[in-house]
Amino acid sequence: MAFAEAIRSVGRGGLFSLSVLRASKPTADFFAELTREIYKIGARSLPIIAVGGAFVGLSLTLLGFRALETYGAANQVSVLIGLGLYRELAPVLTALLFVGRAGSSIAAELGLMRATDQITALGLMAIDPVAKAVAPRFWAAVLTVPLLVAFFSTFAIAASWFQAVQVLGIDNGMFWQTMKDAVDFRDDFVPAFVKAAVFGGTAALVASYVGYHAEPTIEGTSVATTRAVVNASLLVLMFNFVLSAFLFR
Amino acid sequence: MATRGPRLEFAVGAFLVLALGSLLVLAIASTNGEFGFSRDSYALDARFTQVGQLRPNAPVKIGGVTIGRVEKIDLDPVKFDSIVTLAIDSRFNEIPIDTSAGILTGGLLGESYVGLQPGGDMEVLAPGEEIAFTTPAVDLIQMVGKYMFSGGGDNPPPSSGETSSAPPATPAPEEGTTP
Repeated sequence: MAFAEAIRSVGRGGLFSLSVLRASKPTADFFAELTREIYKIGARSLPIIAVGGAFVGLSLTLLGFRALETYGAANQVSVLIGLGLYRELAPVLTALLFVGRAGSSIAAELGLMRATDQITALGLMAIDPVAKAVAPRFWAAVLTVPLLVAFFSTFAIAASWFQAVQVLGIDNGMFWQTMKDAVDFRDDFVPAFVKAAVFGGTAALVASYVGYHAEPTIEGTSVATTRAVVNASLLVLMFNFVLSAFLFR
Repeated sequence: MATRGPRLEFAVGAFLVLALGSLLVLAIASTNGEFGFSRDSYALDARFTQVGQLRPNAPVKIGGVTIGRVEKIDLDPVKFDSIVTLAIDSRFNEIPIDTSAGILTGGLLGESYVGLQPGGDMEVLAPGEEIAFTTPAVDLIQMVGKYMFSGGGDNPPPSSGETSSAPPATPAPEEGTTP
């Protein structure tokens, strides 16, 4: 029964998510782990986010310039940059980069903890392994992905400004003012960070679920890492559509 | 195992400060800066026979300055007028009662907006009241079509890419649009 099995795996994922939420208690140890995880999956992801954002900004500007030139509206390319980044590109691409950079490491760490019986050992010492190993990673992702989206957008807009104003010769004031006019704080800017928090939580939950339930072998860890990246990326793309449909009219 | 060295705390702190800083810069430099989640505004209604391309959230302007937004567009189920509800910024609460509203277009194919032309009456529109004088949206394509095909002008439709401004040498065709 492939269908029943699929439903059961969704159910297992949901129960795992519930257990993570239930295990999240603001103890001193939790905050210590949270700080470590923010550093490991947040601060250490900065270079890839910055470089990725800058190159997305550059190419998006070229694309928009080419498309808008047809209508003689090339000097309004920053409308496309602002709306495109905040509505779709910044949250989605940041989340995908985050999945590749941090999701894989979460799955591999938890998979190795499983393979080396550390998870069992924690349980034997009456320490909830979910509270100790999973909950801090989940909350660190929920907190840091919106902040990484801010970095991504900053670098993308700065690179886009360079490309548009310095290379393509669009007027500086025109660039900023058309962007300000087009991007609404409530309708465009805030949803980007709501999306980012959801994507961060999704990525961390999928990666830790897959890693936590990996086969306790070396091969199981590698399978778990692959599965974490594939499943989390697909879920992020699906949730992006659902969120776009609800957040934007 | 809780190695909360000062370097780790510094790194996390720097990350958070930088991230929140760039968030702030982005919010100020790249959005329209309307941070309030419930803007102080009041509603005015206006009835139009034709709203054209007007959409919710379009600006409401007096003399080119935005003073509010279109909140919703509805249709009167009996008279088939469209009822446009405007959310006007509370600062502009002394709009005269004989103000007229029109649906205008910025540029040739630009965005539609509601333009208000204030009157001179001493009485002021109260929240929820209706603007009595309105002009519907002008459909440019329909106007061009009427001009071209209703025999309103003497000129026939241009025949073969002729762009000279000289008066047409060919006599005007009798009537009808058959080639």
